[in-house]
Amino acid sequence: MTRANGAPLVLALPKGRVLEEALAALRSAGLRLALSDDDRALRHDGPDATVLVMRNADVPTYVELGVADAGVVGRDVLLEHGSRLYAPVDLGFAACRLSLIRPEGQSGHIRRVASKYPRVAAEYLRRLGSPAEVVALSGNVELACLSGLADAVVDVVQTGATLRSNGLVEVDVIAESSARLVVNRAALKLKSHVLRPLIEALRDLSGR
Amino acid sequence: MVRRPAAARSGAEPLTGLPDGTRFAPPEAAAAREVALERLRDLYASWGYLPVEVPGLEHFDPSHPREAQAFKLTDNGSDVLALRSDFTPALARLVTVNYPGVAAGERRALRLRYAGTVWHAHHPELAGTREFTQVGIELVGVSNARADAEIIHLARESVRAVGLTPRIEVGNPAYVRALLEAADVPREHEPALADAIDRKDRADVLALIGALGLRGRAADAILRCPDLYGDEGLLDEARRLAPNAAARQAVDRLEGVLEEFEDASELLLDLGLARRLSYYTGVTFRAYTFDYGQPLLGGGRYDGALLPYAAGFSLGLERLLSAAPGARPEALGPQVLTLDDPAARLLRAAGIAVARAVASDPGGAEREARAERIPYLLVDGTLRSVAEGGASEARRLELQALLAGNGGRR
Repeated sequence: MTRANGAPLVLALPKGRVLEEALAALRSAGLRLALSDDDRALRHDGPDATVLVMRNADVPTYVELGVADAGVVGRDVLLEHGSRLYAPVDLGFAACRLSLIRPEGQSGHIRRVASKYPRVAAEYLRRLGSPAEVVALSGNVELACLSGLADAVVDVVQTGATLRSNGLVEVDVIAESSARLVVNRAALKLKSHVLRPLIEALRDLSGR
Repeated sequence: MVRRPAAARSGAEPLTGLPDGTRFAPPEAAAAREVALERLRDLYASWGYLPVEVPGLEHFDPSHPREAQAFKLTDNGSDVLALRSDFTPALARLVTVNYPGVAAGERRALRLRYAGTVWHAHHPELAGTREFTQVGIELVGVSNARADAEIIHLARESVRAVGLTPRIEVGNPAYVRALLEAADVPREHEPALADAIDRKDRADVLALIGALGLRGRAADAILRCPDLYGDEGLLDEARRLAPNAAARQAVDRLEGVLEEFEDASELLLDLGLARRLSYYTGVTFRAYTFDYGQPLLGGGRYDGALLPYAAGFSLGLERLLSAAPGARPEALGPQVLTLDDPAARLLRAAGIAVARAVASDPGGAEREARAERIPYLLVDGTLRSVAEGGASEARRLELQALLAGNGGRR
């Protein structure tokens, strides 16, 4: 396992909208980061940290194995990953809910649930004592409801606008989510001289 | 997966097909494992730890700590057996059978060491192995700071034994347990709160404190304890935050452990450690090294869990060696190829690996040495260098001196 370079920190960040907010937060916390204009670049070496850009579901893996010292990822992804990473800061942005969603007007027994979060969905159904089966999908889970593949879905809800326009309703909130700073267990201890001040600064910024 | 040749009998794997999660160790890897095992064995033996062995086959026990990981088999008849998944419970049974006094609470230091294979039916998160080697020690029959420190010291030296720089994270879950008690956290909510503390998830800890309606000094300490990590300086703060005598005693014990060390600079304290709160009753620890993101070993005190007084640790040999790629044996394979059996005996007695030539004539033996890259050829009491084997004249003379009978003497 070769480390990215000699930078004091390696950070795993998710591509997409969260990337901009994560970079802004980390920069406000005092990290000097270099990000090239090339949208396709996956690795950016800066003076204070090397930034690795990846799919959000992969962030916990990179941090857990210590390839990245720390990362930014939604609590929803952490719950699904089931990892025991340190999550010392709630960054506040990318707020959403993980919810059970059904077509409007339906209230009978649920037989099949489709989700991009099969683990969270299965755990939720187990807690309810429901025998419904879980189907793992990788995108557009609302379609599962509309097409009859499943009679409910577990998915993230931000404003609820997409649901309403598709005739779906949020029946139950399973978990609240927002972006978290996650830290590798060994790195927090071995690089506490860099990570501890970063954690303090990010907590001050997010007011949490 | 390996594709099955068309000729293979149905149901039979080809020779190279291994069950998922198992692997071969070719000579280079096996020799590296052997060197590490020898160093660890010598370390523990030099501290007075005695070897023990326990069966690889056990009765399946639904209350076993790793029950969910058990590889199950059926015995002749209908008994369900399990492959050994962890050494510590098996060692506790060995102590119960062989040292009933210690198992009944007699105070007497019993030092045991072990090494062997364990099997887990499911892949652990992020690891591909289901069969691996566990090495460890247990110090049974005593419970004090001196005993805790001995175990932690040997954990630290185990990491050093394979050439790595150790850093040992040390905590005392008794502290978190005391805080949860002081705050009157209902038993069924303890695991979730302990887990949030252990993950240093401030948002989750805050949410649970709110949901459970926790207030006062104990609630403040619960919110603060995930950040109580660092050097000795934090012990005073931990003591100030302590809402009850049990929490203060947990801090005192940790301080007592530190005082046993001449140099505690490789120890990193963490009072937010709350892993397996119902199992670990006292000081717990994990070893790390630089630029390797996963713990190399873990252990702690589990008084009352399996035995009245016991502490220990176990390490996964595969994990330790993957962090220490430099821990290779110096020379693999024979140093000398011989046609001269009596002379070879002298070299072997001096610890030199000597292979017997398969060819019976000097020309054939020389070709053999070249092909196998063996540095020296021994014919009629004389050593010859084989360039292809990386021979050096100085080493040749050293070996020749052994044959003259004055090797090792000055």
